[in-house]
Amino acid sequence: MSIYKSAVTKPITTIMVFTAVVVLGVYSLRNIPIDLYPEMEPPFISVMTTYAGANAADIETNVTKPIEDAMNSVDNLKEVTSISYDNLSLVNLEFEWGTNLDEVMNDVRSVIDATYNYLPDGCERPSVFKFNTSMMPILFYAITAEDSYPGLEKLIEEKLVNPLNRIEGVGSVSTFGEPKRIIYVDVDPKKLDAYALTLEQIGSMIASENLNMPSGNVKMGQLDYQLRVEGEFSESDQLNGIVVGNVAGKPIYLRDVAMVKDTLKYGYIDESINGKKGMRLLVQKQSGANTVKIAREVNQQLKELIPTLPPDIHIAPIMDTSDFIRGSIDNLSETLMWAFLFVILVVLFFLGRWRATLIIILTIPISLVVSFIYLYFTGSSLNVISLSSLSIAIGMVVDDAIVVLENITRHIERGSSPREAAIYATNEVWLAVIVTTMVIVAVFLPLTLVGGMTGVMFNELGWIVTITIVTSTLVAITLTPMLSSRLLKTWGSKERLLNTTYNRTIRVFLDRLDAFYQKTVHWVLHHKRFTVTVSIAIFVGSLVLGAFFVKTDFFPESDESSMTVSLEMQTGLRMEESLKTAQKVEQIIRERYPEITLVSNSTGADDEGSFFSLFMATGSNRSNLMMRLVPIGERDRSVFEIADDLRQQLDQIAEIVTYQVSTSSSMFGGTTNTVDIEIFGYDFNETNRLADEIRDRVRTIKGASEVTLSREKDRPELQVVLDREKLALNGLNSAMVSTFIRNRVDGLTASVFREEGDEYDIDLRFEEDYRNSITDLQEITIINPSGHKIKLSELGQVKEYWSPPNIEHKRRERIARVSVKPVGVSLGELANRIREEMKGVEVPPEIMINVGGAYEDQMEGFQDIGLLMVVSLILVFIVMASQFESFAMPFVIMFSIPFAFTGVVLILFLTGTTLSLIAALGAVLLIGIVVKNGIVLVDFINLMRDRGYELYEAIERAGRSRLRPVLMTAGTTILGMLPLALSKGEGSEIWSPMGITVIGGLVFSTIVTMVIVPVMYAILARRGERDKKTKLRKRFIFLDQ
Amino acid sequence: MKAIFIIFNQAHTERLEYVFDRLGIRGYTWWQEVQGRGSETGEPRLGTHTWPEMNSAAITVIPDEQVEILLEDIRKIDEVNREVGIRAFVWEVMKTV
Repeated sequence: MSIYKSAVTKPITTIMVFTAVVVLGVYSLRNIPIDLYPEMEPPFISVMTTYAGANAADIETNVTKPIEDAMNSVDNLKEVTSISYDNLSLVNLEFEWGTNLDEVMNDVRSVIDATYNYLPDGCERPSVFKFNTSMMPILFYAITAEDSYPGLEKLIEEKLVNPLNRIEGVGSVSTFGEPKRIIYVDVDPKKLDAYALTLEQIGSMIASENLNMPSGNVKMGQLDYQLRVEGEFSESDQLNGIVVGNVAGKPIYLRDVAMVKDTLKYGYIDESINGKKGMRLLVQKQSGANTVKIAREVNQQLKELIPTLPPDIHIAPIMDTSDFIRGSIDNLSETLMWAFLFVILVVLFFLGRWRATLIIILTIPISLVVSFIYLYFTGSSLNVISLSSLSIAIGMVVDDAIVVLENITRHIERGSSPREAAIYATNEVWLAVIVTTMVIVAVFLPLTLVGGMTGVMFNELGWIVTITIVTSTLVAITLTPMLSSRLLKTWGSKERLLNTTYNRTIRVFLDRLDAFYQKTVHWVLHHKRFTVTVSIAIFVGSLVLGAFFVKTDFFPESDESSMTVSLEMQTGLRMEESLKTAQKVEQIIRERYPEITLVSNSTGADDEGSFFSLFMATGSNRSNLMMRLVPIGERDRSVFEIADDLRQQLDQIAEIVTYQVSTSSSMFGGTTNTVDIEIFGYDFNETNRLADEIRDRVRTIKGASEVTLSREKDRPELQVVLDREKLALNGLNSAMVSTFIRNRVDGLTASVFREEGDEYDIDLRFEEDYRNSITDLQEITIINPSGHKIKLSELGQVKEYWSPPNIEHKRRERIARVSVKPVGVSLGELANRIREEMKGVEVPPEIMINVGGAYEDQMEGFQDIGLLMVVSLILVFIVMASQFESFAMPFVIMFSIPFAFTGVVLILFLTGTTLSLIAALGAVLLIGIVVKNGIVLVDFINLMRDRGYELYEAIERAGRSRLRPVLMTAGTTILGMLPLALSKGEGSEIWSPMGITVIGGLVFSTIVTMVIVPVMYAILARRGERDKKTKLRKRFIFLDQ
Repeated sequence: MKAIFIIFNQAHTERLEYVFDRLGIRGYTWWQEVQGRGSETGEPRLGTHTWPEMNSAAITVIPDEQVEILLEDIRKIDEVNREVGIRAFVWEVMKTV
C-alpha cells in the first residue's frame, strides 16, 4: 500500500507520527545552544619556541627556518607563515578547511620531535597551540576603582574571578592590567661602592633573612615539640632593619644603602576606563557551551557579587558578545514570524478558503521543527545561519502541499468524496512533487560539500534547507491528503459561483489576470523574434549594468555597537608619552561622539606577555582603545559613520604613525576586510624601501584608508659591546657581565614576601636616577672574581643601535606586508586600483610582489560560489532531463536562469547593495527556485501537447492554468524573504543581501519566465511531437500497402 | 442471471462499494487498476503522466430482477459529475458451476 493511502486510511497513526516529530523538535529546540555562527575550528596551528637571549635574526636562522622546513612534510598544509621576534619564534600553520586537526596535531608533534635535536642548545621545546573560535572572549568588563585601586588585584581575584570560574561552561576568567603589589628595594650604587657591597650580596642577605626553617624536634618531659626558626618578614617594613654588612665594627642596615618601597608594580602598561584607573576582566567559554546562557549567568552572578565589593569599585561591560547574538537571533526570529504571516496571507489570497489554508500552513511548523532535531543531534546551535536558512525555506515548504491540495480540491469539486479524492489525487501528483523537490535539493545539497571558511557557513544552510524541503514533501504526500480527507467538505461545482466576498473580489481579479496572461502569451507567441531579441537585449544590458555599477564585497560588516582603535606611535616611544596621545584621542572621542558610552584604554605592553597579547599587538608605543556604543535603536549614526569620522580626526594627530579603527569584534578570529600587498624578498633595506614607496603610493589612491606596514620600523636599541680581551684580563666573561647589568637595571628578585597566603616579589635594583642614561650604565660597577671593582666603561662601550623588531615569513620567505582598508569602495575595486598603481612601481628582480589578503579569500570564496553554481546547474539539468526524458526541455527552462541574474543585478543596483558572498549565494539559490517555476509550466505544456492540443493552444492553455500556482509559489517565497531583506537592526547586514537578491531575482525571473519560457518552448519543441508521429507511421507503413 | 461489468474512475470506489452493500450484492470480482478510454467523450485513464487517472473494474453476477436497480444507482452516481465517469455493461450468463 502506498504511503499516502496508508496516511489517509490511518489518520490517527499519521497524526501521532507527526505529533511525535513535533514533540521531539520542540524538545530539541529547548536544548539547542544559541550562538552567532556555527562553531568552527579554524585550521590553524601555531608552534611557539622560545630561545632566550637570541635576537630576531638569530631566531629566524636557527629556530624558525628549521621548523618551517620540517613542517613542509605535514599533510594538508596550505600555508606557512612565521614571525621571529627577539627570544621567540612563532610559526603559524594553515591547513585546508575540514582537516582533522587532532591528527594534524600529532603529525606536527612528531615532526617537532624529529627536529628538536637540530635546534640550538638552550632552546626550549616548541609548544603547539590549536585555535578555536570558542577561545575568543565572550565577555569583557571594565573595572574601575578609586580608593581600593591598590588592592584591586587581590579583591577581584577572590571576590569575582573565583566565583565566576565556578559557573558551568565558563572556560576561564582572566584579568588584564590589574595593579600588582611588589616590594622594591631601590639601591643607591654610590653607597654600595662606599660600603664595598654588591647588589648580589644584599640580595642573598634578604633571601637568607626571609626564611622559615624547621629545625627538628625537641622532647621535653612528656611532650614532643617541633622546633622552628621563624625568620620570615611579617611586614615589608622589617626589610629596612636587615643588617647587610659591617664597616668598622658598625652594622650597616638596608635602610642605609637602599629605599624599601611596598608599592604597585612600576607600569609598562596603563589601563584606564573612561579616564579612570582600572583593569579589565574577560571571560572565555568552554568549547560547545552556550554563549548566551553563560553570559546571562555571569551577569546574574556579577549582580550578586558587586555588593560584596567596596562601593568605589565600578564594573561596566565593554563588550558582551551575547548582546549581539541575542539581538540577531531575536531579530531573525521576528523575521521568521513575519515570513510565516506573509505566507499565510498569500495562500489565503489564492485559495480563498480557511480550511485549505490551514492544511497548507501546518506544513510550515512541522518542516521547520525537523531542522531543530537535526541541529540538536549534530550538536550545532541556533545561529544566524540556521535561522536565515529557515527564513529561506519557509516560503518553499508550502509549495508541495499547495500542489497536492490543489489537485485534491479539483477532484472534490468534480464530486468525489474527500477521502477518495485525497488518495487518488495524491497518486496523480506525488511523483511530480518529488521531482520538483529534487530540483531544489540539487541546488542546496551541493552547498553541504563546499569546503573552506565559506563551507562552514554554507554546509549548515545546505543541510537545513534540504532537510526542511524533503520533510515538507513527506508532509505534502501524507499529512496533507489525510487532513484534506478529514477537513475538506464535499463541494458541488456550484461552490465556485457562490456570491461570497472572496468570489466577488479576489477571484474576479485572479480570473482577469488569467485572461490577461493568456492574451499576453498569445501575443508573444506570434512575435517570437521580437520577444527573444528584447529579452537578450535586457540580459546583455543588465550584464553591462552589473559590470560597471555593482560593486563586489566579501562579507558585509555588521554594526555590533562596539569599536576598537589601535594606535601606533613612533617606535621606541615610552609608555608615558604614548599615553598622552592616547588620552588626547580619548578626549576627542568623548567630545565628538556622545554615542560612545565607554572607552577603555590600554597603553603599553604587559611585561609578562599575557594571553591578551595574542589578540592585539602591544608595545610601549601602542595604545588599544575599546569602545562601547549605545544600542543601534538609540542613535542616528552607524558605527561605520563614527569610525569614518574618527579616522579623519586621527589623520590630524601628528604623533600617530598609523592607526586601525575596527568595527568588527569577533568575526572569524578577527579577519578584517583588507587588501594586502605582500613583498617577498630577503634584503631588509631593499624591501623596506619598496614597502615605504608602495605605502606612500597606495595612500594616494582614492578609497584607500588605514594603510599599515606589517614590518615595524627599526627599533632603537642600546647595545653593550664588550671587549673580550679586557674581559679576559679581568677574569670575567660576557655571561657574568650581562648578569650584573641585568640585576642592576631590570632587577633581581631576591625573595618573596608572604602575606595572607599571597606572595609578592621583592625586587632589588638601582634607583631609577642611576640607570636612565648611557653614562649611568657606563658607571655600573662590576666586581671581578678577585674582588676588584671595575666600571662597565672599562670593559666595553654602550652604543645606540637600530634593530628590526620582528621578521615575518610567508611560504618560508621574508615578507613585508602593506595592508589597506577600503573606505567607500569595494574590496575588489580597491584591489584593482592598487594593481593599477603598482604598475608604476619598479620592482627589483629578486623581489616578488603579490596582492592578497581578505581579497584573496574573497576571490577564493567567489570561486567556490562559481563552482557551486556550475555543480548546481549540472545537477538541475540532470534532474530535469531525466524527468522530461528530453535534452531540449531543460534548456527551455534554464533559459529563465539568466533573467534571474538580471533581476539580481537590477535590485543590487537599485538598492545600492554590494555583491557580497552572501548576495552571490542568494543568486545560486535562485537557480533552484526559478527552475521550479519553469518546470511547473513546461510540464503542463507537455501534458497539453500529449493530450492532443495544438502547440500554441497547448502553450496558452497551460499558461493560463499554471499562472496561479506559479504566482502562488513565487509569492510565498518572495514574501517569505521580504522580512529578511527589510530587516534592520543587529546583524541584519549579514543576511539582508541574500533576501534582497532572491527577491529581486525571483520577481524579475518570474515575470520573464512566464513570457520567455512559452516562446522558447514554441521555438525548441515545435518539431518534437510531429516527428514522433511521423516516425511511428513509417514503422507501420506495411499496413497501408 | 446477468453479469454486470462496471468500469469506473477510481474516485468512485467508495460509492460503488456502498451500492453493492446496499443492494445486498455479495459476490463480485474487482480489478483495482485497469486502463482504458471511453468510446465517445471519456478521457483516457492511463495512469501516465499525461493521463494520471486510473479506472477500476468490477464484475458481479446478479439475478435478473436486481439488474435494473443496480443500473439505476450507477446512473445516479454518474450524474453527480459526468467527467469522472462510470459505465456498466450487462452480459448474459449462460451457465454457472
